[in-house]
Amino acid sequence: MDLRSSVEIITEWDIVAARQLGRNEAKKAGFGTVDQARITTAISELARNIYLYAGKGKIEIERVTDNGKFGIKIIASDEGPGIPDLRKVMEDGFSTSGGLGAGMPGVKRLMDEFKVVSETGAGTTITTTKWLH
Amino acid sequence: MPQEVGRQYKEIMGKYLERPSEEDLYVGQQFSRRFIEKEIAPEDVISIHKTALIELHPELQDEVWNSLDFLIEMMIHYGLTLREHQSLIRKQEAIQMEMNVATKVQDTLLKTKMPCVGGLDVGYISQPATQMNGDYVYFLNKKHESGVAVADVIGKGIPAALCMSMIKFGMDGLPDGNTSPQNVLGIINRIVEKSVDDSMFISMFYGKYNAEDTTFSYASAGHEPALHFNSRTGEFSELDAKGLLLGVKPDTEYEERSVVLNDGDFIAMMTDGVTETRTEEGFIDMNAIQNLLHDVKDKSAQQIAEHVYHHLAGLQNYRLSDDFTIVIFKKQPEQV
Amino acid sequence: MQEMNLQVELLEQNSVQYFKVVGEIDAFTAPVLRERLAAVENVQGLKAELDLSEVDYMDSTGLGVFVGFYKAVSANGGHVKITGLNKRLNRLFEITGLNEIIDIEQKESEDHNATL
Repeated sequence: MDLRSSVEIITEWDIVAARQLGRNEAKKAGFGTVDQARITTAISELARNIYLYAGKGKIEIERVTDNGKFGIKIIASDEGPGIPDLRKVMEDGFSTSGGLGAGMPGVKRLMDEFKVVSETGAGTTITTTKWLH
Repeated sequence: MPQEVGRQYKEIMGKYLERPSEEDLYVGQQFSRRFIEKEIAPEDVISIHKTALIELHPELQDEVWNSLDFLIEMMIHYGLTLREHQSLIRKQEAIQMEMNVATKVQDTLLKTKMPCVGGLDVGYISQPATQMNGDYVYFLNKKHESGVAVADVIGKGIPAALCMSMIKFGMDGLPDGNTSPQNVLGIINRIVEKSVDDSMFISMFYGKYNAEDTTFSYASAGHEPALHFNSRTGEFSELDAKGLLLGVKPDTEYEERSVVLNDGDFIAMMTDGVTETRTEEGFIDMNAIQNLLHDVKDKSAQQIAEHVYHHLAGLQNYRLSDDFTIVIFKKQPEQV
Repeated sequence: MQEMNLQVELLEQNSVQYFKVVGEIDAFTAPVLRERLAAVENVQGLKAELDLSEVDYMDSTGLGVFVGFYKAVSANGGHVKITGLNKRLNRLFEITGLNEIIDIEQKESEDHNATL
């Protein structure tokens, strides 16, 4: 059973499509309204970062299980400029800057697991998971 | 746990919806603290509200439920901002603790020993405007002489404090026999010039009292002139000496002057936190400071310093706008 | 938000960069001035004139900006002139010894200084 689906992010409308996909998947996975909203917001932030700073990329959404836990995993990847200073981007207070990577601490808070790999000039991949509690 | 909160919320709201009363609102207000205590996010509060409403009034129309879902969506960023805020507060607390440690380190590092030579009464007070002091007082003691450096590092707080240890180590490293004010400033200037950033500088007054001939010699690196009170004439004169701020030009030369002190004479060395005291009516002037000093001319050096401080700080309601430092060297009859 | 009570205007007159500074220069407003001056300080052989006739208060942070600017401009073979100092500001430049190294011109008639 392949539970992975993805949306290419090229235009601003694709952000809406990614949100819709995320919300549907979160609902199907059994998340409540609030968590659906959180997952959707996280996807929205990730997709928006791709749209604004990388030009294009994609959002993949996957249902995952781990030791009887069920959850949803989002992978946001692009081949954009990369984030030069990851530490700074992950700092609180940075989100107000509105610059590249703003909103990352927010995504981390909305989700349960968060991992970012970024290489200057080669792109960024952010993997984040939320588990059903 | 959240279920418990939800159940209570439903109960309170249920009563209110049946018959709205101020009493229920008061109970609700008390209850709302629990959301904060339990760190329940704003979006969860709305979700709790929605759940309670579904159970109490399932007959309501879809517009109501949809609007609540919409509101949940609206509150997600509020929740995030709130949590970010809380985390910044914790960070600030951590920084505050580091500051407290730094202040202690500063105190220990910059500790100075009050001079003790015959016929000289010394008093001083140095109060920072913020937590860390950018003014610096350092005494250099020898058998028959006591020197004092009064310095003001530009700016306040941590950068200024870091800069000060430089002066301290410069002073400690002064070669013996080279303690004329002119030389002291020349040496410290070279140290500072090499080590500071372009827009950084220090003003410093260096004075030295020689107990053998009761002269006070001094030099100034762009510092406020000191005041000399002459007990015979009852008048003040400014002790001015030409010299550029420390850290601006490497080969600066400093003028050195001296004055003989008689019993009852005193020298007041200050930073601009004293002379530039700003009140609601504007700046105070030199005359005001002279009058203050004159009022207590017969008191001990420490009492004179404290009098000036309490008066000027009082004018600013003890909220100093700049670091405040005053040092008094007072000549006394020898038989102490 | 801290109120920024300082304006810096730049006029170029016959190759002289003429800055008119209006307001109070203190720890809060000094960064504004520093930023404006930093934009030109590395120009080779810069001729700069800073008009402070409408500055009635400046603290040591402000002085720091001028020292930094003077050092940078001198290092690039330029010249800095400061004009329009009121009594209080003039005293500040005198005490600090900066009047010996920076070209300074005092305000001609100075008697409306309300802060004194």
